[in-house]
Amino acid sequence: MRISLEDVWHVYSPGTAFETVALRGVSLSVEPGEVLGIVGGTGSGKSTLAAHLNLLLRPTSGRVLVDGRDALALRKSELRRRVGLVFQFPEQALFAPSVEEDVAFAPRQMGLGPEAVEERTAAALGVLGIAHLARRPTRALSGGEQRRAAIAGTLAMRPQVLVLDEPTAGLDPFSRRELLGVVRRLREEGTSVVLVSHDLDEVAEVSDRLCVMEGGAVRAEGTPEEVFYGELALAPTTVRVAARVRESAPGLGRPVSYDETLRSLRALIGG
Amino acid sequence: MGPNGGGKSTLVRLLNGLLVPDSGEVAVAGHDPVTEPFEVRKRTGVLFQNPENGLVAPFVEDDVAFGLENLGVPREEMRRRVAEAIRSVGLSGYERREPHTLSGGEKQRVALAGLLAVEPEVLLLDEPTSMLDAPGRREVLRRIGGLRRSKTVLHVTHHLEELLEADRVLVINGGRLVAEVEPGRLMADAALLEENRLVPPTVPRLAADLGLGSCRTPEDLAGAVLRRVWEGSGAEIR
Amino acid sequence: MAPGAGRGTGQFYPADSPLHALDPRAKILAVAALVVGLFLVDSVAGFLAVGAALLCLVQVSRVPPSTFLRLLRPVAVIVAFTALFQVAFVREGEVVFGLWVFQAHSEGLRLAAHLALRILLLVAAAALLTATTPPLSLSDGIEDLLSPLKRFRFPAHEIAMMMTIALRFIPTLHEEARKIIMAQAARGADFTEGGLIQRVRALVPVLVPLTVGAFRRADELAEAMESRGYRGGEGRTRYRELSFRGRDATALCIAVLIPVGGILL
Repeated sequence: MRISLEDVWHVYSPGTAFETVALRGVSLSVEPGEVLGIVGGTGSGKSTLAAHLNLLLRPTSGRVLVDGRDALALRKSELRRRVGLVFQFPEQALFAPSVEEDVAFAPRQMGLGPEAVEERTAAALGVLGIAHLARRPTRALSGGEQRRAAIAGTLAMRPQVLVLDEPTAGLDPFSRRELLGVVRRLREEGTSVVLVSHDLDEVAEVSDRLCVMEGGAVRAEGTPEEVFYGELALAPTTVRVAARVRESAPGLGRPVSYDETLRSLRALIGG
Repeated sequence: MGPNGGGKSTLVRLLNGLLVPDSGEVAVAGHDPVTEPFEVRKRTGVLFQNPENGLVAPFVEDDVAFGLENLGVPREEMRRRVAEAIRSVGLSGYERREPHTLSGGEKQRVALAGLLAVEPEVLLLDEPTSMLDAPGRREVLRRIGGLRRSKTVLHVTHHLEELLEADRVLVINGGRLVAEVEPGRLMADAALLEENRLVPPTVPRLAADLGLGSCRTPEDLAGAVLRRVWEGSGAEIR
Repeated sequence: MAPGAGRGTGQFYPADSPLHALDPRAKILAVAALVVGLFLVDSVAGFLAVGAALLCLVQVSRVPPSTFLRLLRPVAVIVAFTALFQVAFVREGEVVFGLWVFQAHSEGLRLAAHLALRILLLVAAAALLTATTPPLSLSDGIEDLLSPLKRFRFPAHEIAMMMTIALRFIPTLHEEARKIIMAQAARGADFTEGGLIQRVRALVPVLVPLTVGAFRRADELAEAMESRGYRGGEGRTRYRELSFRGRDATALCIAVLIPVGGILL
């Protein structure tokens, strides 16, 4: 499915002293099967943007379209099932005694039968690589495992688009790497992923396309290669190294991810 | 450094009497944290992972004063030290702000100011940047870096790049001290990193994978790559 | 920035007025005097006199009347309910009017009016206190007033510390509740449909993590407080200074005179 935002504005507490304009005319789309990275600093509006993708927040003005139809026309439960939204620190919302019961919550809310619930729960735990933790109490897991259990809880709805808001915040680098592996796996299985993050290095590793937010508006959009090489101030470490080398060795190409960068630099040195 | 659940946080808590050792002894500036916790806590400040849950008072200046109130410092001196501590973390003008209106990085700096006001000899930092975004992290690290040489700092972190300037790095895993190394050596020791679930920062990792010795900045690394290219092609080094 | 950031905690309305400038202890004692006095007032005229005095004070406090009325709104229901209860069940005096099985007696009407006015004025006095006193000064004031009771092992410091911590964490927990509600809504939880039991059940996925989270915060806060040398009120100094001056004493005297006037009427 394809989600597009057309000139979306969002104002918090309009008409009061606390009025804050969080989005200023954002237009962008999430294409089927892609990983879209949304980057930007604190207060850039990226989390507000994420909550518009399934209308958990409604635009003050502008439209959200799902496959060309106004999303407001869809049933709320239907939209939330098709666009799974995982907030920052989602493990704070774990509530069931065991991992599998927590993951089963969403499919149960959808009104599925016990077999379908079980099947979806097992599948989601499998994708997140925590099938062996199914029966463990949620509180007994490490931070990284809790994070994955919480993501499984949304994935169990089988959303066509999964929105992850800062999914690696607060995790150690090793758990971060594992989570990025999960994002790659989801794309292979055909789920679109929207990855909201302030960490350029991590977005560079997995995104097909990027959207850079600043002050509630889209500042740049395109493939990681276009965005990063177009504006080096936004670039991750790998691109900064490669761009510096290209100044003297233009034959290097424009690698973005770690593996691409390593491969191109090796080729350059080797021959 | 070391993997989660390896014992890092337990160690920090043993050092100021929040936990009691089953056996063995701890001494901080000659005091036992179990029998004389107050003496130890006067001399040590702990910065925890989540600043949200460490701030006690509903206003910044009252929170910074909390440690001083506990020590029974007279009010006039308290005022001076609170103002000084808030300035030293770059938050002048924030005195009357409420913690819940601050960013994560700002909250952590308020917590740091609260420790500095007490003028401790030792700072124990328990992953103080792990919950912060990049700018917040940079700002907190800058303030901590400024304390170097004036205080003893024990810094627990998952981010190897935060320890590049450390004098010594201790690796803890499975409740044991498994290594004591210089940061440069640790970065180059792929086996030690892997065993302890440590991920080196991008630049040293690329340098190691390319067999290029130690590099710190992207510019260093790019220079090293180009030198290697020119050596290989026999061209002159520009 | 989160929506509503920078907003004052609770009911405090920041302004530069003579009432705001008073020592919190003077204001707490004044409200206490008013409360006691209101129980002695025994005529509608008396209540109205006290009410007029309070209205003047609201004017002095520079709290906009609309904001002040909003503070009173939550108790309006209670006031209405108690008044109705009095009218319906007190069967003394003459019957003033009847409606089907329902009869209103004169004594019931009188009691209802007294009770409604009394509750309303009590709440108004308390609202004036919280609107003009920053919460932290309020807890300092309470600690100070209760400190003579420390001799009888009354935990005055602990109570004030609990108030301070509650003030600090109310916005945090409020924000956390909001986030958890959003997160569960994204997983298909529905808080708006179904009967009462279903709605209460729908709250379980919110209340459980909120409670667990609050306990985790409490643990971490206790560690942070201990590591910062906290060991109770003993040997502690205070950052904030309270000073009881001439104007505070004057204000207190005036506050005592208000219900006295009411009683005499």
